[in-house]
Amino acid sequence: MNKSSTLQHSLMLAPLIGATDSLVSALGLWLMFIVVISAFGVSMGALRSRLVPETRLLASVLLAATLTSCTELAAQIWSLQWHQHVGLYAGLIALQCVVLEHTGFFQSAWRDRLRLFGLFGALMAGLGVLRELIGNGTFGSHLPWLTGTAQADWQGWVLTADGGLHLATLVPGGFILLGLLIAAHQAWTRSTPPH
Amino acid sequence: MSRASSVVILVLLAGLGIGATYLVQHTSAPRIAAEQRLIDTRNLLDLLPAESYDNQPLEQPLALANTGLANSTLLGGYLATKTGQTSAVLLRSQTLGYEGSIELLIAIGANGKVLGVKTLKQSETPGLGGRLADWPNTWLQVFTGKSRTEPADNGWALKKDQGQFDQMAGATITSRAVINAIHDALRYFDEHQQQLIGSSAHE
Repeated sequence: MNKSSTLQHSLMLAPLIGATDSLVSALGLWLMFIVVISAFGVSMGALRSRLVPETRLLASVLLAATLTSCTELAAQIWSLQWHQHVGLYAGLIALQCVVLEHTGFFQSAWRDRLRLFGLFGALMAGLGVLRELIGNGTFGSHLPWLTGTAQADWQGWVLTADGGLHLATLVPGGFILLGLLIAAHQAWTRSTPPH
Repeated sequence: MSRASSVVILVLLAGLGIGATYLVQHTSAPRIAAEQRLIDTRNLLDLLPAESYDNQPLEQPLALANTGLANSTLLGGYLATKTGQTSAVLLRSQTLGYEGSIELLIAIGANGKVLGVKTLKQSETPGLGGRLADWPNTWLQVFTGKSRTEPADNGWALKKDQGQFDQMAGATITSRAVINAIHDALRYFDEHQQQLIGSSAHE
């Protein structure tokens, strides 16, 4: 694990813990992440060959800021409620663009990029579902936010009438859950030793 | 790829970026504001039955005088009218609870009876006083239909204070604060009825 991938992964941690307190926030943030990173990748690909290496950082900052701002405004129009809930983490995507560009993500193979998207999406959605189930006892609450219609809120399929362990929807609960998942993953990979 | 062309591209990028962001922000601001208003309306006004008013109460806040009441402060008010006749006055009241301040929206009908009470902000103990924020709220529904005369002034207290109302389980101080705030709002409505309802006649 070299230094640059540590930075890259630790930047993923903030939305992973902050924006996964329900499935709808996690999905929305993942969609926004894909849109911005793809647009950024395409634009940067066109510009990279025309810029000297010293100016690439500045160009990526400008591009990331513009793309993220416009996408955030579009997200506000699409679903103001979602944005009020997790808009803070949407801004962080700009920083992720710059760091990914700096570590050469956009010059790696297609398969690597798709792997990152898929892994990020799976983690976000998985954590979102778990935290919502454990914390609120619902599945898919407020999903109408993502469809952009401003009607009455759907509370999701309520599975436990009493709510749940409220801690799971808070940030410390998110960290604990992530730690437990990592521990489970490591126990799994250790218990199936490589042949 | 040369220094000069890179600088030119950077400047172009900055200009384009700023221009595009400004344009998007400018065109989307009215739509976002309208959406925000819709959400606010839905949140705040669901304690009034939808067919009891046909104006936009949140668009015309009332100017209130003497907002410092005995146990609470009035932060603002709205008027809900139907075909020009007042159907409800909504008062935003702030009072001190157990852990912090509680903000309530109290809807009083034209006849002086409470139509509904809703909690806007609270930071009480979760599970005890924090149950104030549940919506629909069974405890707050007790106040629907009460007025300043029914119960009388000394009935507006907890049962353990020789009044009429049950407290929320485990949240005596919160319950007292809410009862006092609602009583204050009803007294204010009585004393200022002409100004509150009369202001709609001036439109």
